[in-house]
Amino acid sequence: MRQSPVGAPATVPGDGSPLVEIEGVTKRYGGVVALDGVTAALTDHAVGLLGANGAGKSTLMRAILGLVKPDTGRIRVLGMDAAAQSWDVRRRLGYMPEHNALPMGMTARDLVVHMGDLRGLPRRIAVLRASEVLFQVGLEEERSRLIRTFSVGMRQRTNLAQAIVHSPSLVILDEPTNGLDPAGREEMLTLVRRLSTDLGIAVLMSSHVLEDVARTCDAVVVLRDGRLVATRRLDREGGEGRRDVRVRITGEASAFVREATALGLGVEEAGDWLLVSGPDAEAVLRGVRDAACTAAVGLSELRPAGPTLEDDLVGAIG
Amino acid sequence: MSSDARVVDVAFSRYDGPRSGRGAAIWSLARWSSLRALGARRGWKVKVIPIALTLFAFAPAVVVLGLRALFGSSSFTEEIAKGLPYSDYSSTVAVVILAFSVVITPELVCPDRRDRTLSLYFSTAISRGDYVLGKELAALMPLLLVTLVPVLALYVGNVLFAVHPVGYVQDHAWDVPRIVVSGLIVAFYYGTVGLAISSLTARRPFAVGGYLAFLVVPAVIGSVLGNALDAPHLRLLAFAAAPIHAAEGLYPGYSDPQNIGPWLWGLTTCAIALLAVAVLAVRYLGEEE
Repeated sequence: MRQSPVGAPATVPGDGSPLVEIEGVTKRYGGVVALDGVTAALTDHAVGLLGANGAGKSTLMRAILGLVKPDTGRIRVLGMDAAAQSWDVRRRLGYMPEHNALPMGMTARDLVVHMGDLRGLPRRIAVLRASEVLFQVGLEEERSRLIRTFSVGMRQRTNLAQAIVHSPSLVILDEPTNGLDPAGREEMLTLVRRLSTDLGIAVLMSSHVLEDVARTCDAVVVLRDGRLVATRRLDREGGEGRRDVRVRITGEASAFVREATALGLGVEEAGDWLLVSGPDAEAVLRGVRDAACTAAVGLSELRPAGPTLEDDLVGAIG
Repeated sequence: MSSDARVVDVAFSRYDGPRSGRGAAIWSLARWSSLRALGARRGWKVKVIPIALTLFAFAPAVVVLGLRALFGSSSFTEEIAKGLPYSDYSSTVAVVILAFSVVITPELVCPDRRDRTLSLYFSTAISRGDYVLGKELAALMPLLLVTLVPVLALYVGNVLFAVHPVGYVQDHAWDVPRIVVSGLIVAFYYGTVGLAISSLTARRPFAVGGYLAFLVVPAVIGSVLGNALDAPHLRLLAFAAAPIHAAEGLYPGYSDPQNIGPWLWGLTTCAIALLAVAVLAVRYLGEEE
């Protein structure tokens, strides 16, 4: 895990210039420090903001939107100062609030058109784009129904549609899977991933669920007690650390070691564990399977040899 | 099927065209809010009351102009027209204006608090100040339907039915600005006070009750104490009547049976309107975004 000392720039590397640059941002509410000297540069197209409840995720998001003015430090979003140019920033960003904030007496279509209007789209374009985004989130058949008749999942999708109707460069999603059942959560995570991969919209998503971030984001920033404690790129292709595995054997371990070695794998003993290495992840896994089969031993546990992302981040979240 | 028919994929496209400015966002908020308060894109039950009240507000003008249309220009119809001077129109339909504002203004702000939509609005190009301005415009526009448009319609009708229309316009040239200003005063007052009281609660019934209580209870107290103590100035507590008397004072020949000058009514109107603006500022501008 790459940990960034508090106060030093923590860069989540990507291809382009930073979408969001945060420099020494501190925000206090009375005696409570919501953000404590957070410094980071977010360049990836999908960044997860991870932290326990009260870690400062929502405050940081609202500061990025220019809705909260930092006591110290500054935030630049898409090259604009979030505090001084908050109006321009908000017009270019999309925001999906954590809590349900939808007008219950409006239809999904009317709301999305209205929010497009408010974010500067010409009326005719807002109407066209409302149809497009409601189609994209799977609400094209329900667009004329009142929001109060929607399920929680449909409301969240409406919430997402209003956040992207104006074709924002960056959309901020505050706990988008909150309150969703497993099926709704699955749909929402798929939609969120599509934003950055298919629709070309950069995503900054907060969550306290690591799996949600891991499935939808390219990088993760971890907050704890208002401080930035870790940043990490999520390597979807599998990195060096994921090639080797450690296994726990039930049965004759020496037989397993002999068979694995015969298959060209390297095996080392480490306490109760055997560390197995090979040329690539697939060869290692196949070799472990075949060696166990041939040696007639059982595998009670199989894990990546190095610390997992989960190990890293759970430790950082605290 | 036409040979020009095409199958079009509803795909997501990027929009890189021009975006409208802050004024357009405020106007959009005002337009959507006022139309929804009047019942647009909602069920017929919501539409009935605003439409009925608007018709009631036009009724005196329609009656006067209808009689003139039926009986032509005669001394009888001239007397009828004089019986409804422009200065008295607002007081004639005062109850309608009050009822209209009670129906409209809570609808403009209470649902936003109830549904917590404010956070959604403030995440767009709308700031807190813009929101208040948009809602003020949203209150003003429908209220002008009952405070200004009927009087203007009466004026236009009187011009058309006059024996010498050009002469009528020349003789009543100053009535048009008086009609416009008095209509704006009454609409702004009822709109701002209604919004201020409605901003104190997320529940519409409470807003309606509070609004009526604010306008009616002090008036009753002022009237009772004014009579008992022989202190006519206590009648200034009739907050509902204040803007109407102030607007009437714009016309020549204003006479107040209670011997309270139009300036005092004007001051009362300004004081209450400023108080309402202060309440709106505290409720919306004071909270951190």
